[in-house]
Amino acid sequence: MNTANPALFQASDLNRHNARVQRRYRLLFGLMTLLLITPVLLILGTLLAKGGSAISWEFLFSAPTDGMRTGGVFPALLGTIWLVTVALLLSVPIGIFAAIYLSEYAGDNWFTRIINLAIINLAGVPSIVHALFGLGAFVLFFKFGTSILAASLTLAVMTMPVVIVATRESLQAVPPAFREACWNMGATRWQTIRRVVLPNSITGILTGVILEVSRTAGETAPIMFTGAVFFTPFLPQSVFDQTMALSLHLFVTATQVPGIAEQVPFGVALVLIALVLTMNSVSIAFRMWLRGKKKW
Amino acid sequence: MNNEQTAAPMQPIPRHAIASEKLNLWYGTFQALYDVDLRIREGLITSMIGPSGCGKSTFLRSVNRINERLGYVRIEGSVHVMNENIYDPHVELVQVRKQVGMVFQRPNPLPISIRDNILFSHRLHAKGGGDVAQGTPDEIVEQSLRQVLLWDQVKDRLRRKATELSLEEQQKLCIARLLPVKPKVLLMDEPCSALDPKGTEAVEELLWELRGQYTILIVTHNMAQARRASEECIFMLMGRVVEHGRTDEVFVTPAHPETADYIEGRYG
Repeated sequence: MNTANPALFQASDLNRHNARVQRRYRLLFGLMTLLLITPVLLILGTLLAKGGSAISWEFLFSAPTDGMRTGGVFPALLGTIWLVTVALLLSVPIGIFAAIYLSEYAGDNWFTRIINLAIINLAGVPSIVHALFGLGAFVLFFKFGTSILAASLTLAVMTMPVVIVATRESLQAVPPAFREACWNMGATRWQTIRRVVLPNSITGILTGVILEVSRTAGETAPIMFTGAVFFTPFLPQSVFDQTMALSLHLFVTATQVPGIAEQVPFGVALVLIALVLTMNSVSIAFRMWLRGKKKW
Repeated sequence: MNNEQTAAPMQPIPRHAIASEKLNLWYGTFQALYDVDLRIREGLITSMIGPSGCGKSTFLRSVNRINERLGYVRIEGSVHVMNENIYDPHVELVQVRKQVGMVFQRPNPLPISIRDNILFSHRLHAKGGGDVAQGTPDEIVEQSLRQVLLWDQVKDRLRRKATELSLEEQQKLCIARLLPVKPKVLLMDEPCSALDPKGTEAVEELLWELRGQYTILIVTHNMAQARRASEECIFMLMGRVVEHGRTDEVFVTPAHPETADYIEGRYG
């Protein structure tokens, strides 16, 4: 056939229709993404606008005075760092080790399925329930009193499921062929985990830890009953002391102190967010360093 | 198995690297192997052929005991490797894996450097005076890669990750990384099925290089490969051994009509 067919590569009605539908969906997804980041920007913007003027070296590094109305947030800042650090020291090793066991050693049977179900349920328990559990278990039963230790244990229990789930997912993302190659060369489970599985999943595990840092630092209810106080004139000296905490301090300055300048609670919130972002960026930097070190 | 006359004169009594006796194997309730008695001679390349599901891979996998990882596998009978029953309760599984190396269909190098891949199992087994290749790590890497005819291609990129290599090179590497621990037997489960004809040729060439130093048992779907690249050939059907003999005899004058039919492509 040598009759020219000008319609051969022309868009048909169907093509045009499909292209229109596809553009509509792209617009929908784009708008949703925009919707997603709007609150983040609004929150940061409001905090900076209203609380930025409160931030100074004095605000960061001095204790509150005049019933929280003046002075700074140093005891609360330090207390939050204590709480988060101790909670991480408790929950990260336990969570990671448990996840390794569940993913690499345990078989798939009714017992491990119950454990997995329990972990998922634990992640869904409201934080105020964790608070009451922490009060009953750590403060009263184990007689730790209201202390950093009791509060951090409560936080650890609450955030451990996140670590376990994130760790297990990144372990399971390592292709099974790698494990089998190792086993077939006579490597034990542990040698396989140590040399192949962990190096390939460490970045995912750290992501879980980062998530946990943010959550731990921001929680208020679980520490309210277990270790954090409205005000204390002393800085914590050990894990058996009570402490102030930024999240609780924010609650107090925002709702419990009459006649306080508006910029103070916003300033506290700003410090809390900055602290979380700093901790996160340290982990992100560590993650990037690990990734750069990887030979593959 | 009536080829004693043809054995090399320097080796009057043929030794058997692998000997199975009444090996029966079940996957759950499905019986995959029926009374498999095989004597596989040391230092030779033996190929296993047969239609899919005939049990050849299952047999291969029971020679380094990776079948049992499935959990629902039941085994009766015995498999001797170098005259020791590897299913004896006193046998250390790690030693079985060291003495009997395995190569898979899909090359499975570890996601580490070429060099570390070669040294991986050496590091696992060298501590405590295991019988492994001696020398500095660099020597071991060079020696192993030379043995698999890969040294010249990769000597300048030993620190690059192994997963960047071509499939053929990866498969050679997977063979090379077994050698530093001085295995007695190399099992290969269709080692060329992921490779192009050139890669297949290269791996077959390599098999001939390794012949004599190691006992090689290779499962293949490729009849021409069995014919080209093995000295003895085992034909299996429905979980039973039908024929085992010198490759040229199995192919030219098969003793059983099933073998002849399979070889001529009437089923399979």
